[in-house]
Amino acid sequence: MINSDLQALITTLEMAALTTVILLIIGTPLAWYLAKMTSRFKVIIEAVVALPLVLPPTVLGFYLLIAFSPEHLPGQLWQQTTGQQLAFSFSAIVIGSVLYSLPFVVQPLQKAFEQLGDSLLEAGALLGAGPIDRFFSIVLPLTKASFITAASLGFAHTVGEFGVILMIGGNIPGETRVLSIALFDHVEAFDYARAHLLAISLLIGSMVILAAIYWLNLPKRPQDKARSDQKESSTYE
Amino acid sequence: MSKPLQDDTLLSEVYIDSVSQLDIKININYRQFNLTIQLPIPLKGITGIFGHSASGKSTLLRAIAGLEQTLDGEITLADKKLVDTKQGLYLKPEQRQVGLVFQNSRLFDHLTVLGNLEFAVKRCKHNKLSLDEVIKLTELTALLEYRVTELSGGQQQRVALARAILAEPKLLLLDEPLSALDQHSKAQLLRMMLTIQKKLNLPMLYVSHSLDELQQVCDTLIVMSKGKVIDFGNIHQVIHRLNSYGDADIMHQQTSLSLPIKQFDNGHGLTTLALSAKQDIFLLANEDFEQQTSLRCFILASDISISLTEASDSSIVNHICGTIQQISHQRNNALVTVHCNSQDFFVMISAFSLQKLSLTIKQQVCLQFKAGAVRTFIH
Repeated sequence: MINSDLQALITTLEMAALTTVILLIIGTPLAWYLAKMTSRFKVIIEAVVALPLVLPPTVLGFYLLIAFSPEHLPGQLWQQTTGQQLAFSFSAIVIGSVLYSLPFVVQPLQKAFEQLGDSLLEAGALLGAGPIDRFFSIVLPLTKASFITAASLGFAHTVGEFGVILMIGGNIPGETRVLSIALFDHVEAFDYARAHLLAISLLIGSMVILAAIYWLNLPKRPQDKARSDQKESSTYE
Repeated sequence: MSKPLQDDTLLSEVYIDSVSQLDIKININYRQFNLTIQLPIPLKGITGIFGHSASGKSTLLRAIAGLEQTLDGEITLADKKLVDTKQGLYLKPEQRQVGLVFQNSRLFDHLTVLGNLEFAVKRCKHNKLSLDEVIKLTELTALLEYRVTELSGGQQQRVALARAILAEPKLLLLDEPLSALDQHSKAQLLRMMLTIQKKLNLPMLYVSHSLDELQQVCDTLIVMSKGKVIDFGNIHQVIHRLNSYGDADIMHQQTSLSLPIKQFDNGHGLTTLALSAKQDIFLLANEDFEQQTSLRCFILASDISISLTEASDSSIVNHICGTIQQISHQRNNALVTVHCNSQDFFVMISAFSLQKLSLTIKQQVCLQFKAGAVRTFIH
């Protein structure tokens, strides 16, 4: 691999790793809140979270570009606190990726939390476990597979991102030039050999991650069933 | 079969300063269900809560445990306020020191049996109870390394019971813990509940829709209907009152008794109970009786017959004479209350027989019932 492509790979991995960490930190409470929420506003929040699934990435990128520009409040605030411009920076593509990959992290977690139900948490509370304790001693071990799925999907989807980054990040080597952008450059320059190399790496990488996710979710199924049976019988109380 | 544990000294100290009273004054309003309860419950032994499936029994337990958030009023457990909505006080379940054993054991799948027990031990603030002792009491020694999904229903409930005790609650709530179990496991768990209650002096509130389970272990009984307490008192007296107003759908009319065992086996496989100094009652001996000094039993009203004179040439072993106190007509039957040796017996006969014998109040009659009619459980 040529030097500039290697740099694009490093930028991509850095962006995806940071994005995944941020997504787990904000996505977990959001998914928890959605799973427990009974208000009718739930559907609106769910729709907003799911938007990136259906929206052309350029639409999201366009609005983010406007928001990140120094003429608008978010961009202004960023510039005041950090002293740097937000648009066309590494931070910009991380923020864009967080929004763009949000449903891939929130949805599996929300589904896992809904399936887990309240019964075991009630049992834990009656044994003296507070909310944080219950999360780490009951929820996390029982939904471990969903956390790994959510993190892997978030990571893989961020690696595959193109439209949003093109709009808000541009193509600055070492800052915002990620693999998908580099690939696009090679095609534009009719350098198909290098384009092939990047394309096949992305293809195999994504395939490996997805296969790992499906493999991970296989053996857990009988246990999931046992839990849902338990949940069913609790409705007869 | 479990033998009663002898070494009472270690554990009973834990609960010596045990609660005296649970004071409940609460209102819960749902769209289709209202619960209004004002009741001080003395916390001694095992108190039963009996009623229809939608009578609010489980809701009451959930309110005491802190799992029911939409309520008004006060709950006080041994001078400790758990809830006082006027003062904005609402203790979370984890702050109440109240244990709850659910109908479905709600064990943690990701932990072993021992892991589930240690979950409670780690979070217990006092740790006065020994884990080994509780494991022995609940007969879990051989199961500690099993995953909870590998256990039978009865074993799972034993783990749930042990786990709840290890949190060292001031009050243990049991919400239909036996309803999914077979007869053998039911009897085993009831025996354990009794042993644990006595050994730890841990007060329990036990919800069930099965009167024969309740009367095996409870001293007092609360009867609930449509979100209200409709009766409360000594278990035998409450059951006898239920005979006249109780719903035939959920209970069998019966005579409920606690009697001392006079002789475990009379040589013919019958156990002798003393109704009075002169009057014995016989029932079929069961090895479980051997370790006990007295027995809870019941006789269904439909299992007793009335004759005007004592039949000395009958195969039926139990003959008791007494005076008719009351006759109440129920469709084609009549429930006759007969007072014998300071004990009321309830007898269900057909209206046809009532007319044939022309029974009247204060009349002297003889009751007959077979040894097999004196039951400890409905099999």
